[in-house]
Amino acid sequence: MKHETPLLDQLETGPWPSFVSDLKQEAEKRAKNEEGTEFQIPVDVVDDLIGVLELSYKHGCTHWKHGGIVGVFGYGGGVIGRYCDQPEMFPGVAHFHTLRVNQPAGHFYTTKYLRELCDLWDFRGSGVTNMHGSTGDIIFIGTTTKQLEEIFYEMTHKLDQDLGGSGSNLRTPSDCIGQARCEFACYDTQDLCYELTQEYQDELHRPAFPYKFKFKFDGCPNCCVASIARADLSFIGTWRDDIKIDQEVVQAYMGGEIAPNGGAHKDRDWGPFDIQKEVIDRCPTKCMWMDGKELKIDNKECTRCMHCINVMPRALRIGNDRGVTILAGAKAPILDGAQMGSLLVPFMKVEPPYDEIKEKVIEPIWDWWMEEGKNRERLGELMKRQGFQKLLEVTGFDPDPRMIQEPRSNPYVFWKEEEVPGGWSRDINEFRKQHQR
Amino acid sequence: MEYEEAKQKIVEGLQKKQKVKSKFYFNDLAKILDEKPRVAKKLINQMITDGVLEYWSSGSTSMYGLKGAGKQAGAEHEEASDKE
Amino acid sequence: MAFISSGYNPDKPMEDRITDIGPRKYDEFYPPVIAKNKGKWLYHEYIRTGVYVHVAESGDEVYSIRCGGARLMTTSHIREICEIADKYCDGHVRWTTRNNVEFLVDGKDRVQPLIDDLESRKFSGGSYKFPIGGTGAGITNIIHTQGWLHCHTPATDASGPVKAVMDDLFEYFQSHKLPAHLRVSLACCLNMCGAVHCSDIAILGYHRKPPMLDHEYMDKMCEIPLAIAACPTGAIKPAKVELPNGKEVKSVSVNESRCMFCGNCYTMCPSMPLADQEGDGIVLMAGGKVSNRISAPKFSKVVVAFIPNEPPRWPTTVKTIRKMVEAYEQGANKYERLGEWAERIGWERFFEKCDLEFTHHLIDDFRDPAYFTWRQTSQFKF
Repeated sequence: MKHETPLLDQLETGPWPSFVSDLKQEAEKRAKNEEGTEFQIPVDVVDDLIGVLELSYKHGCTHWKHGGIVGVFGYGGGVIGRYCDQPEMFPGVAHFHTLRVNQPAGHFYTTKYLRELCDLWDFRGSGVTNMHGSTGDIIFIGTTTKQLEEIFYEMTHKLDQDLGGSGSNLRTPSDCIGQARCEFACYDTQDLCYELTQEYQDELHRPAFPYKFKFKFDGCPNCCVASIARADLSFIGTWRDDIKIDQEVVQAYMGGEIAPNGGAHKDRDWGPFDIQKEVIDRCPTKCMWMDGKELKIDNKECTRCMHCINVMPRALRIGNDRGVTILAGAKAPILDGAQMGSLLVPFMKVEPPYDEIKEKVIEPIWDWWMEEGKNRERLGELMKRQGFQKLLEVTGFDPDPRMIQEPRSNPYVFWKEEEVPGGWSRDINEFRKQHQR
Repeated sequence: MEYEEAKQKIVEGLQKKQKVKSKFYFNDLAKILDEKPRVAKKLINQMITDGVLEYWSSGSTSMYGLKGAGKQAGAEHEEASDKE
Repeated sequence: MAFISSGYNPDKPMEDRITDIGPRKYDEFYPPVIAKNKGKWLYHEYIRTGVYVHVAESGDEVYSIRCGGARLMTTSHIREICEIADKYCDGHVRWTTRNNVEFLVDGKDRVQPLIDDLESRKFSGGSYKFPIGGTGAGITNIIHTQGWLHCHTPATDASGPVKAVMDDLFEYFQSHKLPAHLRVSLACCLNMCGAVHCSDIAILGYHRKPPMLDHEYMDKMCEIPLAIAACPTGAIKPAKVELPNGKEVKSVSVNESRCMFCGNCYTMCPSMPLADQEGDGIVLMAGGKVSNRISAPKFSKVVVAFIPNEPPRWPTTVKTIRKMVEAYEQGANKYERLGEWAERIGWERFFEKCDLEFTHHLIDDFRDPAYFTWRQTSQFKF
């Protein structure tokens, strides 16, 4: 290896896959270059990446600087500029920019396509990636400024593939595996994710928002893609009719023939399955009971928390009248504290071409936020500043107790003039006829 | 608003503030144009394509500036001549 | 290293330019068994940790073998994944939302040879390339950010602590013995590019020193109004400063008691670096969740205010996390998430059970929401 790495070497042992070993094999592969690739960035780029990381391990802090200018022409997002603060020691990574590549929904790939990505990235970049970044994109870590346009050109012309979002854009939407391989999914997360990504390409590439904006698509309330915690608009699948029950299979679970929760607890002796203790008593609304040998659910009282379905997936199935619950305004803590999504739309059907979602939810919210949002203010913060009522006003949804945890505990209602009979203009002289000064 | 008029307003508006700062939020530009965000966006996108404006991104936030203006290019070693 | 053009003409960037085409469409990548049975799955079942079957209405089955992976992955490793997927999975593979690789096969007889192959592959240093696990009531892959590998404001590394913690928690990755699943996440600074604020256990990098001020270069490298505007707490003001050589320059001053150590000023202005070997380290948070199962989603709470960075293997962080995991394993009821357990027994008991010190740093004093975290009842436990 080009650099000694006594500290990083200690991360090669232990069972968990070692990123250090992986980087080393990549450095070696580039040095050997058995394929005869005409590397367009320095051949020892991975050696220098390992070297600068070792230096950070020694110094206890980073050696990267931010760059805001670089990008591909006409796009405001998709590239993050990075420069090493020790370019003489590590010339291979002096300029080391990241590209965000918009992942296919559900993160399904063919090896043919993955290899095409690898070929491009070996040729014009470092060969180092994240599969995947936090938002869901394929991340290409490290190339030079000049290669950015070349990569974009090849990606769009040969791979039929576009970049993802960064900055004050719509960020690359992402989804759970959904109906592709999950019996809990209440709508086609992949299709909605894809269609909205295509519809809003301009918003994704050309920043005109006050700050970032995220869509995420969870097929059911288990929320595997964590939309409720991090998406400005969180789409969570749900249903409004009855949970389907197969009573025979309920009995099979009770008789111990089928492991509860798909076998997710089977490496520990929790005793025999007890439907009363494990399902009925844990139901948050207590809307289930055994009637002799029959499991009963008062579906009107069910809040669709998924627990009973998770525990007995072969006996209980989601309802047939399916749609989506939409929550707005989730964000990470910076600055005024973290926010979960707040429920805006209790239920909406999800049907292509998804006009109702676009026209009744997304676009009115964007119009409001683009006009009223302060610089670097997320939707959730605007909601806090201007109030949930304002969100209802701009979207036109009727107030509904399903939108709140509890009603307000202060009476300080800011009544509007038009809500009060007779309005606010009164005649003081009329008043004085009945009340002395 | 006609594109040429918008361009003139933006260039003048940004040059006026050039001594203080060179990067602006989208909303600052929309205010200079006195247009709704969606209308302003079309005009501003065109100015990007024409090379009048360029983006600057903190990664989380995007800003706009007159092409080549400001100190970032020097600080980031991305002067036009330096693009290896 | 001769430059090879892609066809792009820098003098005419708009010539033949293709834009706004978006991602490739998901369905061109579906394995046939997925394409055929989409939306018609009946149920799933774990065969062993990391291996599960989904059964469709048609009677078709798809077996998924889940492997942990460093999210930092080279093309060498991806090509090896491709080679395996070609050999066993007809050229299809997928990733999960938490950076695991999943190999899908459509028949039970195809499972064991794939498992044997995956388990036999090791990196040169001895670690598994494709450890199988990460399902059910255990600990799956840690989602994380870039850290020292590629970020300009991290307060800790990401890949290193993740490797160290996962090495230690490996038994839970490969078993279903916890009361419920336990999600660990890491963000290398408080900006949280990776949203960790609703994790059972969150590892968060944190700076503790305000930025240094490189006065001599401030006005040359930075636009001072932008640095001032970048500060979320309004702690930065313009200032005139006299350099040691007597020259007066335009710069800034920082109200240090208002600094929340976010590094946003450094992003705008390279003359305000804040990283520091002694100042930087790790905050541990606990008890968050995103699922709506049984109880509502919850935020993680700060349970350890600071642990120094200890590269290369972060032993104190690793040990502290293990204490929490073991206390949870012993104390929680079946199906109970870490945060639900902590709320049931009370946070005073949580600190006792996990053997964690409670310090004043853990009492919220940041803006309005702080009040709602103080105790407004006479009910507590001795």
